[in-house]
Amino acid sequence: MHSADAQMLVLTVLADGPRHGYAINTAIEELTGRKLGPGSLYGALSRLEARKLARPADTAGEAAGRHRTMQITDAGRAVLRAELEQMARVSQAGLRALGTTPA
Amino acid sequence: MRPSALMASLYPPAVRERWGAEISSQVSESGIRSWPDALLGAGRLWLHPSDWPETTDGQTRQVLAVALFAVIAAAALLVRAANQPVALTASLRHPATSLWLAPILLGAGLAAPAPPLRWRALRGLATVAARTLSGPAVAVAVMIMTARAGVLPHPVGHARIGLIAGYWAVLSFTALRLCTLITRYARTARLPTTRRLRSAAMLIGAGLSLAAGQCLVPLIWTVPGAGSPALALAYSLLAAVTITAAHDLRQP
Repeated sequence: MHSADAQMLVLTVLADGPRHGYAINTAIEELTGRKLGPGSLYGALSRLEARKLARPADTAGEAAGRHRTMQITDAGRAVLRAELEQMARVSQAGLRALGTTPA
Repeated sequence: MRPSALMASLYPPAVRERWGAEISSQVSESGIRSWPDALLGAGRLWLHPSDWPETTDGQTRQVLAVALFAVIAAAALLVRAANQPVALTASLRHPATSLWLAPILLGAGLAAPAPPLRWRALRGLATVAARTLSGPAVAVAVMIMTARAGVLPHPVGHARIGLIAGYWAVLSFTALRLCTLITRYARTARLPTTRRLRSAAMLIGAGLSLAAGQCLVPLIWTVPGAGSPALALAYSLLAAVTITAAHDLRQP
């Protein structure tokens, strides 16, 4: 999968709440019907953290030790909103061109 | 080492520290079908250092400096492995065919962490160097003494294979320890800036491209034994990796 697509999927899932790697992938599977491979998933998480679009969540306890829970940042929300709005515009234009009324 | 742990170990240190256990676990669960994605993911991250999150300040620069020296070590081992074709030398007596070394050495100079100019720090550095390089020094000395003793003047069969394997083990061990020295040195020395590392990577990439070209030109002119297509391919790959990483460092 293209790395930008994987990043958008991860951001979309994180916008719903903090999650660790496994939970992110399970949510992506529910959303798209297939899981991301480990290289795509953790590559996307690395890029998002490096660009400060996601960051580790302030979690405590046993779960925090085993898995790294991530959460979306304000910058991440802004980027996701801009991308989704652009995708929505493209989607509406495409559906209009096909003669289908957007839902 | 299990394949899943090996896959996780291929990722850049910052990624490994964060998700190494999870990567290993997911590769283990998904089996062999996840290997291509795991390998591609690791390769993509190495080519894009700006995608590495940092655990400590300067971690990316530290890893990059070591990685550039690892590329130089690989280039040196490659030229030795190819039995030094005539068109590619590393000697002051053949300046034209050793030209490829100039940008690489310049790049190494730029990528090297700046030595601390304090007596105590320099003494500490000398101690680290002595500890790190004592093993390779002993191995090289044993190898030279064995060769000069003439115990096996014309080795054949298993003895020959053993000697060649021993020779390459010593060379690889020395290269590995030199990279370890840069790693240990980089922990205390002043690291080069990202801009400087980018220039270093570009210079090293240019030197490797030149080396690849030097290996190919005699083949085009059909000079027997002067070039090496395998070496040209290996240098081209190293150059492509180095230049791609340098280009990525241009990103804001």
